[in-house]
This record gives sequence, structure tokens and C-alpha cells, in this order.
Amino acid sequence: MSEQRRYKQLASTRALKKTMTRYYALSSYHRFWGKPLRRPLAWVTSGAPVELLRSFNIHPVYPEQYGAICSTNKATAGLCQVAEAAGYSQDLCSYATSHIGSVMQPALAPMNGLPKPDLLLACNNICGTVLKWYEALARHFNIPLFVVDTPFLPDQLTDHARAYVLEQLKDITASLERLTGRRLDREKLAECVALSNEVVTLWKEIREFCRARPSPLNGPDLFIHMAPIVVLRGTRQAVNYYRILRDEVQKRVEQGVSAIEGEKIRLVWDNIAIWSNLFKFFKMFSERGACFVTDTYTGGWVMELAPGDPMESLATTYTSIFLNRSPEFRARQIIDLVKEYNADGFVMHSNRSCKPYSLVQEVIRKRVMQETGVPGLVVEADMADPRSYAEEPVRNRVQAFLETLS
Amino acid sequence: MGQYFLGVDIGSLTTKVVLVDGNCKLVGRATGRSGYSGREVAKRLIAEILSQNGLDEKDLAATVATGYGRVTFPAEREISEITCQAKGIAHLFSAARTVIDIGGQDSKVIKLLPGGKVADFAMNDKCAAGTGRFLEVMAGALEVRVNDLGDLAADSKECCAISSICTVFAESEIISHISAGKPKPDIVAGVCDSVASRVASMTSRTGLEPEVVFTGGVARNSGVASALEKHLGCRLLLPPEPEITAALGAALFAREINQ
Repeated sequence: MSEQRRYKQLASTRALKKTMTRYYALSSYHRFWGKPLRRPLAWVTSGAPVELLRSFNIHPVYPEQYGAICSTNKATAGLCQVAEAAGYSQDLCSYATSHIGSVMQPALAPMNGLPKPDLLLACNNICGTVLKWYEALARHFNIPLFVVDTPFLPDQLTDHARAYVLEQLKDITASLERLTGRRLDREKLAECVALSNEVVTLWKEIREFCRARPSPLNGPDLFIHMAPIVVLRGTRQAVNYYRILRDEVQKRVEQGVSAIEGEKIRLVWDNIAIWSNLFKFFKMFSERGACFVTDTYTGGWVMELAPGDPMESLATTYTSIFLNRSPEFRARQIIDLVKEYNADGFVMHSNRSCKPYSLVQEVIRKRVMQETGVPGLVVEADMADPRSYAEEPVRNRVQAFLETLS
Repeated sequence: MGQYFLGVDIGSLTTKVVLVDGNCKLVGRATGRSGYSGREVAKRLIAEILSQNGLDEKDLAATVATGYGRVTFPAEREISEITCQAKGIAHLFSAARTVIDIGGQDSKVIKLLPGGKVADFAMNDKCAAGTGRFLEVMAGALEVRVNDLGDLAADSKECCAISSICTVFAESEIISHISAGKPKPDIVAGVCDSVASRVASMTSRTGLEPEVVFTGGVARNSGVASALEKHLGCRLLLPPEPEITAALGAALFAREINQ
């Protein structure tokens, strides 16, 4: 039975690998082409307004995605230990600690660490950790750090908050003009924003295909195929890739092809994946006919940039991302997903590393259960650090949860 | 064709085996330390029960395994102990809506629907605080038997505070209470209170609807039971044999599968 229910790989995975290999090869050879082409390299947080950097021809690299790569390559624990030996607490985010470890001892890290940055851009719309993490990096490399401070939104985005973020983006623009010796190219910025929007629309379409029963994609598919939207948002390559994926997923729906054999239970996932055990973990569900038809995390990249002045649109969009919003907003989000995707239950990963994502889950869980009537399970683990994952207790909870659903 | 149904609960510390007949009547039970191979222990216990009742393997119609060793035990089906616990308790107490189960390595709160289906549950995280193992370690530090903890706690005049949630750190706290000359009953009461408060806080995740049943090996400890009643502000029902209720649930499932 478990043989039949093995992971069905998408044909697009080949194109995905090609796209990502090209991006990382280009990044790691930056030292050869960066200077002659006058294109600096920036390390940026996942929720930073990357379109602005791209309009200055700055090449962005993502330490958070690299944290996930370290984890799937079984390098996280070793890298965290390097940082911990230097005094970083074991209670810190494992993306931050493993990445700092990779800076200290690149020999232990996949691809021998990320290519050295010329500047840093951190936006605290995803968490507060990024500020201290990037400050540590700025001290280590002695390079400029730009920070976008997005105020937390207890309710709707206010004019005041938007104006505050917009002011900062203008300041950063002036600094980038000095740093690169170029003026802001508004046309290029508008072009990057348009490309981002194209990618976002494709990703949205792909995700919405999963409303079909059976679902054409399962959780791990979403997590693997989100890679380009993280690092190549605002580029033509990302658009090209997601067209291939969209066509394949559409075909799966038209032909009634399911992500897992014998879909019986439809679930919603909340929080980042458990990268260290990605397939093993999701197999506990798929072998019992449970499919994760949608999730809140990869859905975080479905953020359309509003029309109008591109700079204002960046301020609005990047301040309004879901992790920067109230528990009410986030509960509503899961309630809507449960209804729209006809889910039978939801699973929340209480992620030791990611406090802003995990801290309010119990409140959200209760509200969602109350309003939808479907049960929710909390699983304790860590997105990257395998030392915080205990398989037996997790298996026990997962089995009990699925028994209540069947 | 057999007419008896077997429930095997291979727990982290103890293995429990229960035999029921076609009328759900409990005809035999046996328990033993799980040790290195819970599976072998279970087989030995099954042989014991069968011979005590003058039966042999042919009389067994179906077996359901539960507990940590469930996956490797040869049975018709394996079912998680949360589902089995709910089944067993609903059979013994039809009015039960909440189950508090404290076993060897985990503690859990299960919310029941009428009929014994699981509505929601909460479990301790990757930590032994609030479990039977915690009590064993503390009994060891105090040089008392686990079974005597309840009676000792009853003699306490002023409960010692054990604030650490980590089993190892809590043991050091106890050692410092001992060296400070605190009376043994007060320290024991502190240990029981520590387990109770940890488990009581879990009920806030599932809600606490009466009747509340306290089960698992630790339910035999009157010190923890009375501390729990104090924390929860409600009366607890205790099964006559609290360590075998999950195995009983497994045996009842075996009977249902067979029909």
C-alpha cells in the first residue's frame, strides 16, 4: 500500500531544478561577473521589497532559503553547533543560527556557503529576529545594512503606516543611488513589479487548482515548487518556470490525476515545512490517504502588488503580509482556506524557530475549530533543526488525529 | 473460530494485555515491565492470560495493538492509544467527556464526544515533565517507592515548590530541598503538585467538560489525583484499574473489527 502511495513527482521538477541550479550557479560565480558588470550582491530577507533592488541591477540572495537547503542537506545541526559554540543561543531561529554557522565555517556548508554580499536588506515584516541576525552579518562583513521597518498591523493598513514605510523606501533608494552610482530607473522598477505580479498570478492559479477533488498537488509539492517565487520574484525566469508548472497542474486536474493515490482526507497546513524530514513527515499522512491541499506558508507569496505608483505599491504590499497581521486576520485566513478547499481538518506546525508564526497558533486553532467544525492538530518541531524533531511522539499524534477523521 | 478479543498496549514503561469476550466482558488482564522488548513481554503476558483462563490461541478471534510498540506487534490492526483510551473510558464511564491520562512517558488530555469518539486532544511536548517517568526519577532521589508517594503526600503540612519543568533540573531542586532539611512528605507533595499543575494547564487547550476521568498508571497515585482535583476545581472519576483502560479499548476495537 505504501508503495502505491509513494510520492508522485511532477515532470516540471526538471525545469525547477534547471531554474534553481542556474540561479545558484550564477550567484556563486558572482565574484567573477559582479564587479565588471557593476552589479552588487545583496543578502535579503524573504519578505523584503526585492523589486527595488532588482531595478538597481542588484543580485539578491536569500539566506532563509539557504537555511532550508542546509536542512534538506542534513547540514543544519552541525552549522548551528558552530554558531552556538561562538555564543549564539540554541533558542534562536535555526535559519539564523545555521546561516551564521555557514558564514563562520563555509567548509561545513552546502555550496561552501553563500557568495559574499556587498550589502544587506532586512525587512521585519516576517519577524524581529532578522534585525539582529542582519546586524551581526553587517558587523562581520563590514558592509551597509538597510532596514525596512514595517509596523505590525493589528487591523487594516493605515495611511500613517504606509507613509512611514514609503518614507523609508525613499531613503533606501537614495542610499542605493549613492552605492551603485545609478539613478533610480522608474521604468525598470515598474517592469520588475509587473513581472512579480505575473508570477504571483501564476502561483495563485496553481494553488487554486488544488480546490479540485482529488487535489493535483500535496504539501511537499507546494513547498518544493515555491523555490523560484522566493528567489526569482520580479524576473522573466520565474514567469517562464511557473507557466510550465501551471500547465502541468492544469493537465493533472483535467485528467483527474491526484497528487496522492486514494485521496480520502483533505487537510490545510499552517507554518513552514519540516525541511529536515520533509518527505518522511508528509508520508505519515499520504500513506493514510491524507493530502495537504493548501497551506498558509506558500500562500504567503500570493501577494499581488497594487496598481499605481510602484513605490507606494511596494510599501502597501510588504507591510500587509500575513505574518505582520493580527491573530484575527490569520484565523480568518485558515477558516477561508478550510471552506474554499473543502478541507476535513488542519495541521499546525508549532515551529520552535519561528515565534511570530507559532506563538498565536493555539488561539487561532480554537477559533478555526469553532467556526468550521473541523479538528486541528498541533505538531511540535522545527523548520530546519533536526534536534527539535522527535519522530515517535509526532507519529503518535498524527495517527490519532487521522483516526478521528476516518 | 475464536470468541475472545485481545487488546495489547505496549507502553513506554509498562505493557498491558486485556482479554474480553463477545459480550465485552473483561475476562483477563496482565501487566509487565516493557523493558527492552515490549513485544516479547506482550507475548509472554498473552500466554499467561490464556492459560489462566484455560484457553489457547485458537480461541482468539482478533487482536488490536496500541501504545508505542504497536507498529511492530503482529495484530489485525494497530490503533493509536488516544483512540483506544477514549474507547476504553467511554465503555467504563458513558458520561465521561474528558480523559486525563498520565502514563510513563506522556500525559494527555482527550475530549470525548458522546459514544467515545475523540473530539480533540492535547499531549505533553517532547519533555518528561508531567509523566510517570518524572515521578519515578523523583521517587528515586527521595529513596521511596513510587507506590508510596500518595500516602507520603497525604502527610504533608507545607508543600515544597518544584518550579523547574525539566526532569533533570527538578531532581536537583529536590536534592537541594533534601539538603535544606525539608520533611520528605512536603517534598513528595511538591513533586505531585508539579505533575498535576503541568497536566492541568494542558486542559486549557482542549477545555474541561465533566465528567472527568483520570487514568493511566499515575492515576493510582492519590497524591497526584488530589493535587489535580485542586488545580482543576472538579471531581475526578477513577477506573478500578487505571493502567489497563487503553488496552481495554484496543480489545473492544478487536471485537468491533471482527464483527
